[in-house]
Amino acid sequence: MGSYLLKRLFASLLTAVLASILVFLLVRMVPGDVVAQMMGQAGGENAAGALREFFGLDQPIYMQYLTWITNVLQGNLGNSWTRGLPVTDMIGPAFLVTLEIAILTLAVATLVGVPLGILAGIYENRPLDTAIQTFNILGLAAPVFWVGLMLLVGVSAVIGWSPPLRFVPITRSLSDNLSILILPIASLGLLQAAAYSQFVRQNVVSALNQEYVRTAIAKGVPIRVVFFKHILRNVLIPIITFMGLILIQILGGTVIIESLFALPGLGRLLLTAIETRDYPVLQGALLIVVVSAMVVNLVVDLTYRLIDPRVRVA
Amino acid sequence: MAHDDCSRGPRGAACKRTRERKGSIMTFMNVSSMRRFGQKLLGATMLSLLALSPSLADEMSLYGPAAENAVSGGRLNMGLLLEPPGFDPFHQAADARIRLSVLVYQGLFYEGANGQAIPLLAEGFEVSEDGLVYTIRLRQGVKFHTGGDMTAADVAYSYNYIRNPDNGSPGAGDFSMVSNVEVVDDSTVRFTLTNKNSSLPMTLGNKYGAVVPAGYFDDESAKNRINAESVGTGPFKLVEFVPNSHVALERNEDYWEAGVPYLDAIDFSILPNSASMLVALQNKRIDLVPLSRPQDVQQVSSVAGLNIERWPSLAQTAIDLGSELEQLSDVRVRQAISLAVDKNEILKASVGEYGTVLGTMVSGMQESWGLPLDQVPMQGPDIEKAKALMAEAGYADGFTMTLTTINGFDWMDPASVTLQEQLAQIGITLDIQRVDLGVWVNNFRSSQMGFTFNDWAAQPDPNLLFYRHFHKKPDGADFRNWNNDEASALLDEGRAEADPAKRRDIYNRFQTVLADTVPTIMLYSPDHVTVRSDKVQNFTQHPTGWYFGLARTFLAE
Amino acid sequence: MAQATSSSTPSVPAPLGTWGKLIRTARREPGLVLGVALLVLLLLAALFPSLFTSQSPIGVFIDRAMQPPSRDHWFGTDDVGRDIMARVIYGTRVTLAICAGSLLISAVIGGTLGLISGFFGGWTDQVLGRLVDVLLSFPPIILGVIITGVLGPDIINLVVALSIVYMPVFFRIARAGAMSEVGKTYVEAARSIGVRDSTVLSRHVMRNVLPLILTQYMILFPLILQIQAALGFLGLGVQPPTPDWGAIMEQGKDYILYAPWISVFPGLAVLIAALALMLVGRAVQKRMDQR
Repeated sequence: MGSYLLKRLFASLLTAVLASILVFLLVRMVPGDVVAQMMGQAGGENAAGALREFFGLDQPIYMQYLTWITNVLQGNLGNSWTRGLPVTDMIGPAFLVTLEIAILTLAVATLVGVPLGILAGIYENRPLDTAIQTFNILGLAAPVFWVGLMLLVGVSAVIGWSPPLRFVPITRSLSDNLSILILPIASLGLLQAAAYSQFVRQNVVSALNQEYVRTAIAKGVPIRVVFFKHILRNVLIPIITFMGLILIQILGGTVIIESLFALPGLGRLLLTAIETRDYPVLQGALLIVVVSAMVVNLVVDLTYRLIDPRVRVA
Repeated sequence: MAHDDCSRGPRGAACKRTRERKGSIMTFMNVSSMRRFGQKLLGATMLSLLALSPSLADEMSLYGPAAENAVSGGRLNMGLLLEPPGFDPFHQAADARIRLSVLVYQGLFYEGANGQAIPLLAEGFEVSEDGLVYTIRLRQGVKFHTGGDMTAADVAYSYNYIRNPDNGSPGAGDFSMVSNVEVVDDSTVRFTLTNKNSSLPMTLGNKYGAVVPAGYFDDESAKNRINAESVGTGPFKLVEFVPNSHVALERNEDYWEAGVPYLDAIDFSILPNSASMLVALQNKRIDLVPLSRPQDVQQVSSVAGLNIERWPSLAQTAIDLGSELEQLSDVRVRQAISLAVDKNEILKASVGEYGTVLGTMVSGMQESWGLPLDQVPMQGPDIEKAKALMAEAGYADGFTMTLTTINGFDWMDPASVTLQEQLAQIGITLDIQRVDLGVWVNNFRSSQMGFTFNDWAAQPDPNLLFYRHFHKKPDGADFRNWNNDEASALLDEGRAEADPAKRRDIYNRFQTVLADTVPTIMLYSPDHVTVRSDKVQNFTQHPTGWYFGLARTFLAE
Repeated sequence: MAQATSSSTPSVPAPLGTWGKLIRTARREPGLVLGVALLVLLLLAALFPSLFTSQSPIGVFIDRAMQPPSRDHWFGTDDVGRDIMARVIYGTRVTLAICAGSLLISAVIGGTLGLISGFFGGWTDQVLGRLVDVLLSFPPIILGVIITGVLGPDIINLVVALSIVYMPVFFRIARAGAMSEVGKTYVEAARSIGVRDSTVLSRHVMRNVLPLILTQYMILFPLILQIQAALGFLGLGVQPPTPDWGAIMEQGKDYILYAPWISVFPGLAVLIAALALMLVGRAVQKRMDQR
């Protein structure tokens, strides 16, 4: 386990470095830089040159990368070019917003999706299963932002309520925080619950089809016992693996939900940083996204190995 | 039409009409009936409201009319669709920045709505015989947000900073004729020019630069910090600017004007799309919203307690024709395009009736500086004449060209498909290419804009509006590669001329050349349309689109 | 789209006399039948849009702007008076072609690289595997946003961006498939009698990995449809006036209170297309699992 962990960590680190180079190059390939935007429709190439020098944009790209990565390794992501704030001060709160959305969505998806999936699996091919499967498929087919838009407008039309405008951290007020997040989480959660339920159902069905489970049922072991003793254990591992997948899905999905519901999360920070060509913020935010995805993958992988000893051999 | 009356109304008068709530069953009514309904409503309220046009005293006052019954206190919630990309008045040219930063930073003069530069941090000025030396007396008792008193040294420092191109300000070009700014005594500064420039006071306004404490930028990090700090002299201080969330301003307790501002604080909430903005408006989450697409008012016109107001504007939407394109380098092709364009149809497709079709001047300045509309050459639609010009230029069979539009500028989508159909009539096939703002600005600045839509505004002064855009290089930027000697000579003449009547005549001649040789086709000025709740009182929208009016706004109990 | 239908043909048998069989299948798998029916409808709309509407999807008629659904315009009209139904129907071709095309590109490139990586292993595998890990560490929508940001919004660039998004998935599937084949006796036998690697790879390994890739193609199709719509919704999709479901929704979201029909109908179109693809995809997957 120890040597595996080391190997795995090293691979992740290498991937992170490669990803950071990719991020750096991609960001600089977007045409038009921050200076062009700051100067707008005013002339003045001298002034533009002075600003480029100030931001270090006159340096060769590899030098810019080396300066940046050296600072990153010391925990310094630099200052935003358009906001003057340290990038860490901008990414920190934004990351917490996205993380909260992700965790709450995951909670909703698990609490709704797993029971539905188990029910559907147990009652395979019966009306309940059909109903749940219909929900699954509709939930998976509906575009997330479209559902969000319909919810926003529908709720406002029906009960005359819309979410408060300014995001309030959960630490300041739970109720305000939740009333802002309820619609975005409902729209993201619907999709992920459907995905989760679909996945759990498949696993329950295949577990039920296992020889020993069939034998146990045939022998008259109560279904409740069979369920807890055999099925749940078999289903647990895929459930955890899937949790990681969903978490990464949500990290991506928040981009669009955050811009629809005006939430100051990481996804929207990324979008505005692309628009304003604020490289330090863009690079920092992308790096955080990539590293979080890696951490999730790593954790899932390790849990997997801890729960199922068979995998260790492979 | 009701609206035309409005823009031709008293010069600079805020054309103000309040639409009262009339029932609540309009939500799903179809558009044409809704529009007819709206017109009737506007017509009915017109007469009574025209009588309310502000007096001359109001026009000459800073920020907007003073309120007699004002109540102090309260937080105003204002919604913004466009997030300012920063808060730096020295290095950031974006209009979304200027709108807010004018409340925190001040220049020497204020852009009076009628085109007059009104002393702001200045108190008055004298011009030498030869027009080259401006001696400006400064207002006394002005304090910076940082606590110190403003003196002549701060003023000289600030303007010397911005005019030096090495400091990287987009405003530097406007000051190229200033050769020196010096302190005369504690309350007097002297600007020395190389050429006469009648719009110097307007240039010392609030668009680029402001008065900040002397030596502020000596520390390199100040270029970053200024986006997060408050170092101006304005009626409000910047408290917080949280990316993608909100901008918070609070009242400057040491502000030099007595009794104002009335509001304790302003919260600008940034909402990235009009759907959530309109829903928030419906549910009374916001008190005041400037709409980026004026026709959006139709979506909230039935909501009780909301007042919709339309204001004249200095903004313009335009088609720019870069002569670096082979086809567009032929003036006959440009003229043919100008003749094929039906500006009314584009206006209707883009903003409905919430705008004014232009000749060669933005609507807010048409009265004072515009070439009379019936004298503007090459106005369409005249398809026959346009086709003849195309044939003359050797393009009888037409050609294909790309029309560039900008992602996020809502009016450009309907306008582009409308223009596509209009130009098809003279054989020009348009491929629409939507790019993002960063790409577009890059092309524009390098004079490689091709055939594109544009959306821009200037201070209420013809020199500041035209010079940089249309004068030959190197004095102007001539983004469109127009390279017109006659026009450049007129621009130089207009800038130097102090006599208003002569100046107007020069700019009329310039506009004739502009319309006749078509480096740009001004389409329309979109109205500034604001929606405010009943409790928001005494708000006026400045024609620049900047939120000066908030310094005079108060909240009713 | 070609793949989508050919892989679902087992359920649409042609010979007469098998009606009974067909009805039995339909009764056993109503989902599949519904999926195939919807898919056929979508394909018809994509290939022959004029069968379904006589209106132009791009014709501008300012005078009839923003009309609610009516007898003349079943789905209403938009801000410049274009018929939404025509735009949604003509949008079928644009949307499905973009998704099918980009997914095909990722399947071909990702699949080929995966086969090579899994079959030869060693150094090649290491390098390719690492590169794919890098791509996989970006959430799909974010990757799409950045690539269209770099390349600019354009139909070709959109296809490029979308094909990069799921390339790693095909790579992994093909790699795993190839690796498991390599261990099998027939490969060793072929190699021992001197059959060239390239022949083994293209003749035998490929044949066994292809079904895996096809199944994956069907599974990913509804997902890429969602990403394509999301990018369109962010304004990163096709150029106007091209009708595309995501782009119509993007245009409609600003009129949502006033003219909800502009965004409701293209949203439903995405939902129905994803539904059809999922139903068919699941049936295909089931068959594959049974094999």
